[in-house]
Amino acid sequence: MIHVLFLSAILLCILPLLPGMAGILLPAFSWLPVAGANQFIGLDAVNLSGFHQVLSWPGVSQSIQLSLFTGITSSLIALALTFFILQANWHKQSWQRIERMLSPMLAMPHVAFAIGFAFLFSPTGWIYRVIEGLGFTTHNAPSLTQDPYGIGLTLALAIKETPFLVLMSVSVLKQLNIDRLYASASGLGYNRADIWLKVILPQWLPKMRLPFYAVLAFGLSVVDVALIIGPTRPPTFSVLIWQWFNEPDLSLLPRAAAGALCLLILALITLATARFGEWLVLQYWRRWQISGAKVRQLIGNTGYLPLVIIPLCIIPILIMWSFAQRWRFPDMLPSRLSDRFWLQELPTLWELSFNSLVLAVISTAIALILTIGCLEYRDRHQRSIPFWLIAIPMVIPQLSLLFGLQVTTHFIPGQHYWLWVCWSHILFVFPYLYLALDGPWRSFDVRLYQSARSLGCTHWQAWWKVKRVLLQPSLWIAVAIGLSVSLTQYLPTQMLGAGRVTTITTEAVALASGQDRRVSAIYGILQGLLPFIFFSLALFASNHSGVRPQSNTKRSTSTDEFICGKPNYK
Amino acid sequence: MTLLTALTIAASASTAYAEAPSMATEQDWQQVLQQAKGETVYFNAWGGSQEINEYLRWASRELQSRYNVTLKQVKVADIAETTQRLLAEKTAGKNNDGSVDLVWINGENFRSMKHSNLLYGPFVSSLPNWALVDKRLPVDVDFTEPTEGLEAPWGVGQLVYIHDTKQLNNPPKNFSELLSLAKAYPGQISYPQPPEFHGSSFLKAALIALTNQPERLATAIDATQQTELFQQITSPLWAYLDQLHPVAWKQGKQFPSGSPQTIQLLDDRQLLMAITFNPNAANAAIENGKLPETAQAYAFDQGALSNIHFLAIPWNATAKAGAKVAINFLLSPEAQMRKADTRIWGDPSVLKEEALPAGERGFALFKPISEPHPSWQIALEQEWQKRYGH
Repeated sequence: MIHVLFLSAILLCILPLLPGMAGILLPAFSWLPVAGANQFIGLDAVNLSGFHQVLSWPGVSQSIQLSLFTGITSSLIALALTFFILQANWHKQSWQRIERMLSPMLAMPHVAFAIGFAFLFSPTGWIYRVIEGLGFTTHNAPSLTQDPYGIGLTLALAIKETPFLVLMSVSVLKQLNIDRLYASASGLGYNRADIWLKVILPQWLPKMRLPFYAVLAFGLSVVDVALIIGPTRPPTFSVLIWQWFNEPDLSLLPRAAAGALCLLILALITLATARFGEWLVLQYWRRWQISGAKVRQLIGNTGYLPLVIIPLCIIPILIMWSFAQRWRFPDMLPSRLSDRFWLQELPTLWELSFNSLVLAVISTAIALILTIGCLEYRDRHQRSIPFWLIAIPMVIPQLSLLFGLQVTTHFIPGQHYWLWVCWSHILFVFPYLYLALDGPWRSFDVRLYQSARSLGCTHWQAWWKVKRVLLQPSLWIAVAIGLSVSLTQYLPTQMLGAGRVTTITTEAVALASGQDRRVSAIYGILQGLLPFIFFSLALFASNHSGVRPQSNTKRSTSTDEFICGKPNYK
Repeated sequence: MTLLTALTIAASASTAYAEAPSMATEQDWQQVLQQAKGETVYFNAWGGSQEINEYLRWASRELQSRYNVTLKQVKVADIAETTQRLLAEKTAGKNNDGSVDLVWINGENFRSMKHSNLLYGPFVSSLPNWALVDKRLPVDVDFTEPTEGLEAPWGVGQLVYIHDTKQLNNPPKNFSELLSLAKAYPGQISYPQPPEFHGSSFLKAALIALTNQPERLATAIDATQQTELFQQITSPLWAYLDQLHPVAWKQGKQFPSGSPQTIQLLDDRQLLMAITFNPNAANAAIENGKLPETAQAYAFDQGALSNIHFLAIPWNATAKAGAKVAINFLLSPEAQMRKADTRIWGDPSVLKEEALPAGERGFALFKPISEPHPSWQIALEQEWQKRYGH
């Protein structure tokens, strides 16, 4: 059974990467095979002109620098913020409140957040209206949207990614047995900040590796958010590639494909650098960890404020815009209201919501079963799919992967659009679920399971009654993440569904291209609503499920992610 | 219908292209109508405008009740997505069971689809309503690319400017006045960033006005080979932009993303002028609450860069008959009239004035300037990117 699941995961989620990658590799080297004897625009001689075109694009180096700057800075800020929030609030009264406050932020899809961010910070946004209202002129004042250095984009990404990292940390910390670490470290004279920095951080960081890589890769390859609030002269590298892919002139496809390949390489180099940095700080320069207790203070009690204040401002502004018939700058409030925009959308809303939900539930359920299969297979046979392979769908620009997949689906006669869309959602949801469950699975104390087996349980009973129960909180959160990832998929739904499978997101993106602020606001709200419900339920369920294990020893986790070592019985 | 068919027979002899025109007889068309019954037509069209989507919903209801054809709009954010999908289908050799039955395209996308053999046809002369189309409009070329009956005209686009008469009652009539205005009011003039469609069109219009060899623009240019010629023809344009950018919106460090953003910035009093391809956009935007009542569209004295937008059928469409019936309906006087109504969409009709119910278009089109050869647009976009894109 486990074998079957493992093989299905490879079949459904890994093998398709081959045609997907072929879909960038071949055009990148200017080779586009075409079935039949069509006269095609001379793309059959293998050459490097695509790469040459990428490198000779005026401003490409600035574009790449912008991508690196925004992607890396935003991820590091998010990681630091996460750490500060955890150390200030974990296991305190405030934690429940923080979790509750983070859920709207987590649930808000990137596009909706970017739209709201622009409503706040653009030169005619709400903040500038307030400043105008105070009697200052804001004409030609600097703004945080489309600023040439991508600072607004960096901040928006950092704020958007922090809750995800916090959420991923919850399951990690639950396994770390913080109370005992506290007890022993306090006995040695460490204060709270010291304990977090010198005792917990070195254990937390390696377990956060994968979520952090996902955030980093996302920051480097994000397109939608960068399109809305990112710099434009030049745009970030991923946006540039996206624009190239959208060129109707097919002879320019090699340039786009070569660009996508460059971005993939760039992302891999960045991830390797991140890994090296972690090794430097945690393994090589270890002095700081063992230099003894120093009484220090870390900020953190206010670290979560931007995460709460910005969504709190964004949501009412989105609601106001969705009812505004006339709302001219610099008015603070709309001058004429109308429910026309809502009424126009309502008839189709039910169908759209239903499609979104069905897709999300089916793809998450299947991806969850596959993920558990893979993780169990790893635990039993010490063999797993290397994570870099799993992460590919998260790391490379979706567009480049999808072109190859799309061609592949056309080889199969007939029209099975729902099937393809469902499958593509599984493909993109699977890595996130794997990411969400990898840490908890690694931290699971295998002896609990062994004890259950020795007490006469079968494999299945032991798994269901012991392991599943203990991992239930993480499972809930993983499900919420899976559902929201599926809900925000635009390109796979549109490309593999030929536009016939319409969801809230495809409708939102199509309508947003008309840049009507009222319509964008409506879909921003709708897009956020379903994930918000899921996350609230998941956090609730996660807090009310699972058992806190009473064991006081912890398995050391190997830092090598490819081989999971045998349990050590010291 | 019978009247229209009679007209068609008379008109089909005078089709605008040199293809052997297939004689559209009543019998043939009846056959198409018969075939189309019960078909579902997937119409891939840009879905960014609620007015257009609403208009297509109306068309879909009418088609359903009159011809038993189901028209489903597939909303796309950019029609290049559809070009991509058709290319993927071509690559895989999927020559029937295609996912697209009808597309709304023009310019670059048409050229690309035509050269990759992604289009079905010629079919245009077989439509009864083709006879009603105003042949004085450039309906047989699409950005200098001959349509050869592979796409049917649907509406007219003209590059016009919108200003708020309350803020700017004497708008510039040509490019040098535009520059003077920008100098007088720094930071309040801009244009969308090329290669966005409207931005590139602004460059073309400026080039036509400023160059001393406008006649050369009708023929192809290869900017990599003919560097000197290209520089010689375009240098007045770059000199002009070098002067305009320092006094433009955000000192030319940022540009609006497209026409909708210029309209929004005009409404927000950040810009003095917006740019659009729809001569009725100002009225439609007022109806919609996007612009003040005092907004108004106008064209420069040189005229307005004009082009037609078209409907085409992919080579592997599943419901070809249904698509033809849909196109023919969209070309009917009733549908064209409704489309031109500013309260509904405001897109000018492509039919002869006498064919329209009111006997007139309802508004005058501006003096048209024809589009340069597409190679100029690409060359201009690349040069703009080199000079100002980073």
